[in-house]
Amino acid sequence: MKTLVQRNIRDRIMESLLVLSTIVVLLPLVIIIVHVIVNGISALNWDFFTQELGSPSRALQGRPTGLVHTILGTLVVDSMALIMAIPIGMGAGIMLSEFPDHKLNPTIRIMNDTLNGMPAILKGLLAFVLIVKPMGTFSGLAGAVALAFVMIPILARTTESALMSIPWSIREAGLAIGLPRWRVVLSTVMPAARFGLVTGTLIAFARAAGEAAPLLFTSFGNNYLPNHWLGMILGPADTLPQRLYSLAISPYTHWHSMGWAAAIVLLVFVILCFGTARYLTRQKH
Amino acid sequence: MIKLKSALAGALIAVLAISCGGNGDEGRQDRRDRVDILGAGATFPAPLITAMADEYRDLTRNRVTVNYQSIGSGGGIRQFIEQTVMFGMTEAFLSEEVMSNVEQATGGRAFNLPITVADVVVTYNIPGVGSGLVFDGALIVDIFMGDITRWNHPRIAELNPGKDLPNLPITVVHRSDGSGTTNVFTSFLSRVSDRWRNRVGYATSVNWPTGIGGNGNEGVAGAVQNTPGAIGYNSFAYALLNNMAYGSVINSAGNVIQPSFEATTEAANIELPDDTRILFTNTPAEYGYPIAGFAWMLVYENLDANRAIRTRREAEELVRFLAWSIVEGQELSEMLGFARLPEAAVEKSQQMIRQIKWENEFIGAEVLDGLAAAGSPNQ
Repeated sequence: MKTLVQRNIRDRIMESLLVLSTIVVLLPLVIIIVHVIVNGISALNWDFFTQELGSPSRALQGRPTGLVHTILGTLVVDSMALIMAIPIGMGAGIMLSEFPDHKLNPTIRIMNDTLNGMPAILKGLLAFVLIVKPMGTFSGLAGAVALAFVMIPILARTTESALMSIPWSIREAGLAIGLPRWRVVLSTVMPAARFGLVTGTLIAFARAAGEAAPLLFTSFGNNYLPNHWLGMILGPADTLPQRLYSLAISPYTHWHSMGWAAAIVLLVFVILCFGTARYLTRQKH
Repeated sequence: MIKLKSALAGALIAVLAISCGGNGDEGRQDRRDRVDILGAGATFPAPLITAMADEYRDLTRNRVTVNYQSIGSGGGIRQFIEQTVMFGMTEAFLSEEVMSNVEQATGGRAFNLPITVADVVVTYNIPGVGSGLVFDGALIVDIFMGDITRWNHPRIAELNPGKDLPNLPITVVHRSDGSGTTNVFTSFLSRVSDRWRNRVGYATSVNWPTGIGGNGNEGVAGAVQNTPGAIGYNSFAYALLNNMAYGSVINSAGNVIQPSFEATTEAANIELPDDTRILFTNTPAEYGYPIAGFAWMLVYENLDANRAIRTRREAEELVRFLAWSIVEGQELSEMLGFARLPEAAVEKSQQMIRQIKWENEFIGAEVLDGLAAAGSPNQ
């Protein structure tokens, strides 16, 4: 028979072990964030958010240069991708969760897993063939389609598991007052699973926001803001992950620190998205 | 959910409003006149062509924006063939096969317009020895073949009397990625040595007999600078930018040529074919630097056949930019570490530009005549 003191000590040890392992999990994240901020903070200034990149000689000669077109391009391409992916991805998720007996479901599940496991660069290639070739030009739209391919399988998966976690009794309640099945899903199950759905959307979004490979031959990149209305959608657009890569492999030290600064912006962008969405989903309760 | 969606939609609308209203001081008519030109390809001329784009944008008061993305020579040719870019850029001219494929697909030729001259220098890291070590072709071949392995080898001493060369092993550094720089360098080696041509040959990437690989100009430079006794090759602009020690090379006329913009330009001052598709490494020019080659812009003869170009205005502005870049644009060269095009190349390019057509109209000739009459590319 152990004494209370012994049991308390054991409890403490286990607790500190858990804290320790949490720290170990968080450590890489902290190291990455600190490293990115230390390296990039010096390049974050007013010009960075208001000027276009232009040529490397701008940076070498100390003339103003920045990434305003890249930041805007990222917002446009990522939002378009999300708008395209939500109906399709969530639709598939609803199908899998709410109509489990449908005979298409096994096929959907296999295709979804395949799409999820497919390398992102292949999705870029697909968008190249589907959008870039027929349009005759690289475009933000093509980049958005490629990113939508990244988001769709994740959305389908997370939607399915979010909806599955809602007790069956809620659906029965809806059906009992005479609602049709689609209405039950839309008005009772989905609102109840709101938090899970938003979290899933964010995971898909954050995953896509960091992808550079599918954008290489779709949105392609731009050194300037486009000259025309819808130029970012119908013409080549710059995006943060892709620009970050090209700045990092360039031979110019100033561009290297701009690359780090681009990483800070990308990090803040993703963190802000998480924060906003959490806030929006919590408001009602 | 609804709130979230409307928030996202709101954000998108706001973004679009900002992105379109960026330059609010321009008139409506003015905005309709604006043109975006898209080009892509070789990495080496990218600093030059993007600086030209900056300059040209100021010159045309934001009317013409040239967006150039450096994706490598291979990518430039590929996207040019796929017709996703308005012009390509490459350090290796189009092969006969590609030329005839283009002719079949578009009913016109593909033009290779020289934009600048790429020069490759031998860079090294020998403690106590600065720039100016003299090499000849055969010596460079022997070193890169792995036959000469120490810096105090009599062959090196013979060419560099008075230089105190240490008994240090030579570490060969080469590019590990496909590169126009490698193409120029290995083509020089192939021209000076049958042994090299038969055993290694020349291409954007080859099977190196010896040495370690570095990714990109910066990879080679890093390895050379961190390894005493290392020898590698870099573009001249890159060696200058990074204060690397580089060697002089004896050319085919027997003169010791120190790398310089003039010597590089001089190398291209030879009898050029009308389509400028020529490799002139180991140039016969008496005072030309022997490890140099053109970088070309690629355009279609029938611009209307290129699906990337949608309107005649875009085609005209593209031609106007091309014409500007080979003449006025060259003024930027030295400042950025590039050699100017020789006169002969500019003339050949202009002859090709004259033949550029839009729906069977010679818009190239129209633009050039218009420029000659106005004396300036812009209003």
